[in-house]
Amino acid sequence: MATLELDGVSKSFKTGDVLSDVSLTTGDGETVVIFGPSGTGKTVLLRLIAGIEEPDKGDIRLDGKSLVGMASDARGVGMAFQNFALYPHMPAYDNISSPLAARGMSKERLDEKVHSIAKLLKIDHVLTHMPKALSNGQKQRTALARALVAGPQVLLLDDPLRNVDAKLRYEMRLELPRLLSEFKSTTLYVTQDYKEAMALGNRIAVLAAGGLAQIATPEDIYLRPANVEIAKLFGEPTINLLSTTIETNSKGPTVRLADLKIPLDAHYERFQGRKVRIGIRPEDIAITREAREDALKIEVVAVTPLNERVVTLFKLADGTECFASAPDIQSSTTTRRHGAAYATIKTDGILAFDHNQGQRIEATAE
Amino acid sequence: MAGSLILDHVDKFYGPKSAGIHAVKDFSMAVQDGEIVALLGSSGCGKTTTLRMIAGFETVTEGEMRLNERRIQDLAPAKRNVAMAFEGYSLYPPLTVRDNIAFALKGARQQRSEVDKHVDEMAELLEIGPILDRYPVSLSGGQQQRASLARALIRKADLYLLDEPMSQLEPQLRAVLRGRIKNYLIHHGMTVMFVTHDQTEANALADRIAVMEDGVLEQIASPAELKDRPANLFVASFMGEPPMNVYDATVAQNGGGMRVVVPSPNGGEAIGVDIPSESTDVQGALSIGQKLRLGVRPQSITIGQGEDQALVLSNQWLGDQTHLVIDAGEHQMIIVSYTPVKEKAGETIPFLIAPEKIHLFTFDNGDAITHGTELAK
Repeated sequence: MATLELDGVSKSFKTGDVLSDVSLTTGDGETVVIFGPSGTGKTVLLRLIAGIEEPDKGDIRLDGKSLVGMASDARGVGMAFQNFALYPHMPAYDNISSPLAARGMSKERLDEKVHSIAKLLKIDHVLTHMPKALSNGQKQRTALARALVAGPQVLLLDDPLRNVDAKLRYEMRLELPRLLSEFKSTTLYVTQDYKEAMALGNRIAVLAAGGLAQIATPEDIYLRPANVEIAKLFGEPTINLLSTTIETNSKGPTVRLADLKIPLDAHYERFQGRKVRIGIRPEDIAITREAREDALKIEVVAVTPLNERVVTLFKLADGTECFASAPDIQSSTTTRRHGAAYATIKTDGILAFDHNQGQRIEATAE
Repeated sequence: MAGSLILDHVDKFYGPKSAGIHAVKDFSMAVQDGEIVALLGSSGCGKTTTLRMIAGFETVTEGEMRLNERRIQDLAPAKRNVAMAFEGYSLYPPLTVRDNIAFALKGARQQRSEVDKHVDEMAELLEIGPILDRYPVSLSGGQQQRASLARALIRKADLYLLDEPMSQLEPQLRAVLRGRIKNYLIHHGMTVMFVTHDQTEANALADRIAVMEDGVLEQIASPAELKDRPANLFVASFMGEPPMNVYDATVAQNGGGMRVVVPSPNGGEAIGVDIPSESTDVQGALSIGQKLRLGVRPQSITIGQGEDQALVLSNQWLGDQTHLVIDAGEHQMIIVSYTPVKEKAGETIPFLIAPEKIHLFTFDNGDAITHGTELAK
């Protein structure tokens, strides 16, 4: 159990700035997911905490004590890398015990530690197996056991499920939070998969070029992203973005989309005349065949089912392409639909972003 | 122009029949004129070998392949009137992207302006307009893939063969291109067979999916049919995200009727589903004491109602859906809900499995017995 603090951490290499002025504080036992496109310094951040690199500026503190300059193995930090790599020439037992063996721990104590963690991770029956004799799931658990065996206060996991087959990745996504909570480790978890980020993180720290763009709960990130770039990183298919202007009529603020005026929350009134990009999640758009007053006239391009949902690519009257997504309730319907149809929008999920700067403009009252 | 393709008891051996590798086993299927069919399976299942036999890059050991009622397996690839986008079938390095695509039309004797118009349409569809004047060597994998697709789709052919056509594209572009390409294929009535290991790709594009495993065609059916009426346990667990929940079960007596029971490791019943008394077909197909496997899709379980209570082990909200894991009598069950679920890990939640939603498979070889209240075919 520990609190990890990053305080104004910056790091640059010859190739340029990688991290600039990153500050975040984890809660005790919290899992914070570090998420962002490649090249935003996610792995560098972990390496700074582990002591493989040192920051140019700023401080890293564990329970108030600075880690900067401290040897890696004295930091109380455990790390597991992409694919949960194992030493191929050592049986599972030796793989797990390797961090302890280096510390000159007594054989009995070491044995006890390895067995207790192996039992918890359900690999106690394969400890004598070499890595190649382990199933993929057992390999993952073995590597996790190795990262956890020394009882680290902070666990760093660098995209551990990348390149793992889809089924196992899914199973681990469901299982990891429970395993991590058993150990009460404070965890920093790097991933490029937004679903993994939402599933595993108590909070998600979104890194963008130049630094930390937002740190918040999955719910806040998805429903209240700080800017348009973050909104685009979460959701499949990606959020629909449409350029328009906030107008006000007798009923309140609206935006015009193609041939339709869509009402906005009353609090948007203060943004009247603002040029914006409206963000509408595909799951907030429903396609119907009936003409309705509050519906957009559209043309269905194609229906392409995705993850048990019906995803429809359609065009607005001005040719803009959008996605709608709905649960696949009647799986018997044809997926060859195209042609004229109508779309209705669930307006309370609409987001608005400044047209030039991209930051989200808040609908809440001042 | 389009065509119909028939594979009639096709076998492929690498090496001698007695000791070689049997890569494709007694494969028969018919692709209708204008139909889009996916060959889906994990690596080594024989899907690419099948595609390569149709293209003419591999010989057929036994059986026959006919395109528009014409036997094609003895014809050179160029004589089959088949258009291809294959990973190994790369772009011509000395030609620009535009010329690579236009080259595919050289036999069609079109005016240059006509050809240009065609290429520009294709380029707009696949978002490669800005790279038309570049040479293949300077393109990213995703750009090469789109150029190669354009070169195949611009042709007039009886059949289009595409090998992992969108594997290199980044997700946002892929989602849009899936829709546009599907629209294009349908509008032009093209007959298409494509290979993929990604069920998302197969579901998105195909009218029917041929699921292969170990050289064998396990089932060919529409995406909906594969989900609702999988022929066996392999197809049932392979298709669907997250995968189907599957449990060992037995048929128990329940008054005058039957109940499918999944025992708890601690004794007693973990999961039980009554077979409705009016489902005489289903009752007739089962016998008391029979061991079988019970499957239920994560999307088919109702939560918030029912008499059974289960402990929530995890609750993961993903924006447009929630994934729950519950502990149903020491058996884990994955549930997908499209509305948010407020119960957190450690709380309990009622759940219900309706008899219409279950799939029963034989215990030994996993063949489907029933789907809901209908008998499997």
